Amino acid sequence: MKFIETLLNGLSMGSTYAMIALGYTMVYGIAKMLNFAHGDIIMVGGYMIFLSMTAVGNPVLGLAAAVIFCVVLGITIEKIAYKPLRGASPLAVLITAIGVSYLLQSSAQMIFGSAPKMVIIADLGNLEFAGLKVPVYTLVTLGCSVVIMLALNLFVKYTKIGRAMIAVSEDKGAAQLMGINVNGIITVTFAIGSALAAFAGFFMLMKSPSLTNTLGAMPGIKAFTAAVIGGIGSIPGAMVGGILIGVVEAISLTVPAIAAYTDAIEFLILIVILLVRPTGILGKKRREKV
Amino acid sequence: MKITRILSIVMAFALCLTCLAGCGGASGYTAENTEYVIGVSGPLTGGAAVYGTAVKNSAQMAVDEINAAGGLNGVNFKLVATDDTHDATKVAANYASMLEGGMQVSLGTVTTAPGLEFTNLSAEDNVFFITPSASGDDIPKNDNGFQMCFADGNQGKVAADYVNSLGLDSIGIFYKSDDAYSNGIYKQFKENLDSSISTVEAVFTDANATDFSSQITTLKDCKFIFMPIYYQPASVFMTQAKDTVAADAVYYGCDGFDGLAGQFEDFSIIPQEVSMLSHFDSNATEGAAAEFIKKYTDKFGTETLNQFGASAYDCVYAIYNAMKKAVDEGEEIDVTISASDLCEILKAQFTGDFTFSGTTGDDITWEDNGYVTKSAVKYTLKTANSAE
Amino acid sequence: MAGKIKNIKWKYYINYIAIAIFTVVFSVMSFTGNLSSSNIYLLEKIAIAVMLSVSLSVVVGFLGELSLGHAGFMCVGAYLGGKASCILEPVLGNGVLTLIISLIAGGVIAALCGIIIGLPALRLKGDYLAIVTLAFGEIVRSLFMNSSDESFGGSLGLNTPRYDKNILYIIAFVLVLLCLAVLQNLIRSKHGRAITSIRDNEIAARATGINVTKYKLAVFTVSSFFAGIAGVLYSYSNFTVQSTKFSYNYSIEILVMVVLGGMGSINGSIIAATLITFLDVKLQTILTGNLAVLQDLFYALVLIILVIYNNAPGLKSFRETNNLKSIFNKIRKPKRDPSRRADDEAKWDRVPTKIEMNEILSVEIQPTSSTVEPDRKENKND
Repeated sequence: MKFIETLLNGLSMGSTYAMIALGYTMVYGIAKMLNFAHGDIIMVGGYMIFLSMTAVGNPVLGLAAAVIFCVVLGITIEKIAYKPLRGASPLAVLITAIGVSYLLQSSAQMIFGSAPKMVIIADLGNLEFAGLKVPVYTLVTLGCSVVIMLALNLFVKYTKIGRAMIAVSEDKGAAQLMGINVNGIITVTFAIGSALAAFAGFFMLMKSPSLTNTLGAMPGIKAFTAAVIGGIGSIPGAMVGGILIGVVEAISLTVPAIAAYTDAIEFLILIVILLVRPTGILGKKRREKV
Repeated sequence: MKITRILSIVMAFALCLTCLAGCGGASGYTAENTEYVIGVSGPLTGGAAVYGTAVKNSAQMAVDEINAAGGLNGVNFKLVATDDTHDATKVAANYASMLEGGMQVSLGTVTTAPGLEFTNLSAEDNVFFITPSASGDDIPKNDNGFQMCFADGNQGKVAADYVNSLGLDSIGIFYKSDDAYSNGIYKQFKENLDSSISTVEAVFTDANATDFSSQITTLKDCKFIFMPIYYQPASVFMTQAKDTVAADAVYYGCDGFDGLAGQFEDFSIIPQEVSMLSHFDSNATEGAAAEFIKKYTDKFGTETLNQFGASAYDCVYAIYNAMKKAVDEGEEIDVTISASDLCEILKAQFTGDFTFSGTTGDDITWEDNGYVTKSAVKYTLKTANSAE
Repeated sequence: MAGKIKNIKWKYYINYIAIAIFTVVFSVMSFTGNLSSSNIYLLEKIAIAVMLSVSLSVVVGFLGELSLGHAGFMCVGAYLGGKASCILEPVLGNGVLTLIISLIAGGVIAALCGIIIGLPALRLKGDYLAIVTLAFGEIVRSLFMNSSDESFGGSLGLNTPRYDKNILYIIAFVLVLLCLAVLQNLIRSKHGRAITSIRDNEIAARATGINVTKYKLAVFTVSSFFAGIAGVLYSYSNFTVQSTKFSYNYSIEILVMVVLGGMGSINGSIIAATLITFLDVKLQTILTGNLAVLQDLFYALVLIILVIYNNAPGLKSFRETNNLKSIFNKIRKPKRDPSRRADDEAKWDRVPTKIEMNEILSVEIQPTSSTVEPDRKENKND
């Protein structure tokens, strides 16, 4: 019984990671950059939920506000910090992203202080059946993320914008020649990634109510790990990687002997997988041309 | 290439000059003091900033009160607070700059990890410090160091004695494996716990401090959960576990629990009983503690109110009282007294018959090894909802 | 027939000379009692930061691989070097011998870790390598964090003997010189040119017969060796070694120094490391509370603006007309010398540009000073 509960925990944790990882992987696939500040978008979303929860008190409105704000923020960051660097070395873009991450964290600390905020979104209680006792938020998180990921998959596969995204990630130059607005597509990608981050922030706060300016830092790194495990640039890969990391974390935390080494184990899995498959589980091997 | 070369020379000279400008003699930093200078290093930014801010605010409040009442024979006190962001590598610079700025006596550091560095540094120069909240067992290992809070080992032992007296078969333990405070208490607790009591353990680290669902699954059948952690993760755990852990279970913590009630708008959403072993209760309604709470919240609000602040407030008063007592006993304390001379005077006081009563206890005395002796009280922060 | 002294390429030695002069100046100051202890701590930190950033600069700036685990190698060095000094101190005393043995121990074990992490580096590229090095750093940290009290101190940290502070920073600067000597000579040798060719185009480098595997591994090893040495120095300059210090954030801090100093510029790394450490330590004691947060904010903004200014393709023409160099050139028109090149380029000055064939042709052949090509190259590498 306990094992099934742990597994459910892991799945819900993993789906949150997967949602963050999707942001990483989509941006990487299309803009070919590591958006290190992605984790901090979650934190900003969290603070938006906190503000609107204290003002209005409705979690759905809070989520809407957070999604809208994060989308605007994501697009703004892309336009101001990343767009001028298109075509520059990947390392320069990475450092800028790190700068943006510092900027978001310290501005949040300036505005909201360093004391953690308690944000209690909704009291959902437990669901008991067949001897299992599962918190409802676990199921809500799991359900919502499955729906969101399915929707995202359908969006990418069957809409015009989605197909344009695939085209840009395959070959930017060719896509541009076919009349695709590459800059527009990159903006859309950042918008979707930021919206997903806001959702992830909502689910994280629903589970545990503590909000600080480093809320997104470690989940961001783990989600990045998940994206790489799944094969960065691949949307199903991000989901697989996220769920894998979540489940491993949940199981490892319940085994006393290795609980303290949980982070090390997750990172070790990453290294092992990359050694076996250098482009991740579902990553495509790209042939290099001279 | 050329420009880099020129730049490097210019920069290096600038650095050299700045260093020169900051130079003084190796001794006699306090010669130009017009006030007694108390130094403290704590996390004023970063994740642990809430503790450092509480200490800084409260110590400043105590200093202001003492100055308003005329200081020590007309000489005022001054508090210098520096930021170490809970990072041990920043302590040396803070310590040196405070010492060179005329620091005569110190509150040490706010947290344990930087405190270990501070302990060694201050011993070299023989600077007296009494730390409000760095509770590591090694903090007062040199004879110039004292603690106002209980040492971790002692807390673990007292907590284990209490749990042994309850006659339980099994208990749960929830602690932070990468934290000196949490680990220190945990180890002593385990050592002193009756071997007949079986334990279920769950740990967390900084990295997963926001989601405790796995740990809750591990601990959910326990009726008594010992949690030697700080109040912030504790509040997260309790909120997340309120429906999963049995409603008649008991959460039992150490002084890190203080400030827990302030985290909740409505503490009664937690159905379980919450109690702690501590020297201060930030919900106190009477006595010196209540007075302090009122003064503090009037000035700084409730957000940073916790035992760290109360303890710092006491530290300042303890230093003041000890200096006053020494003056009354005929010791000469001049405003330009060197840190080392003052240290000898204060050491003699603190290991002598000096007693202190303040917000964190009455008739507080210190052992020769720097540990504090005062009564730890079990505070019930909240009774179980079903009992009401 | 110019004098021999003119043939010494001063620009190659300027950083050794500068560091040596300052070390001497500071040691004189400290022995005459004019150096306060806060400045001594500052100097120790600067030496450690310089060593870290220079050693990372070789991996990132010259080999062109992104490493986010430099703090991990330093962590290995700090813990193992610190442990070695703990063990040796009762036997040999806290002297130079203990220091040297622990430096070697820490450095060598860190270098071994570099080999271990360099092996997957041969299979991985770019961002994949970045995450693997990050993961390595976190794993190492986690292992030391959860070690038992007797072995490495666990969460309380390892208590290490502190070296006499009046001497340690001098030793640290001597080690910085050593590190510079090794790394600069590596970069300026034929191996160095092989390494930069891997950065510029790995496939082309392979095609020209360069053993990419060997060079990558060698660079990783050397770089982590010096990171380990920096770690041992760190353990000597602190009373406790605590694993919390070596998180990926610290690796990023080092990386920022390298990037701000300019990729592929060792002198740049030295300057950036010195300046950033200096500002950090000085501001840390001056600013508190919200002002300290403001410092972080400002730091982040400067980082973003500088990187965009230095790298944005759209700002290229603006950059070329408005940079320090052009301002400097306006003040003092330097003699144009096409043989001047950045460190990592091929040694064009070895190619005879001035052919002395007076007897045959009685015509002096030399490149016209107004050629555009050398100028552009110079800007690119500035």
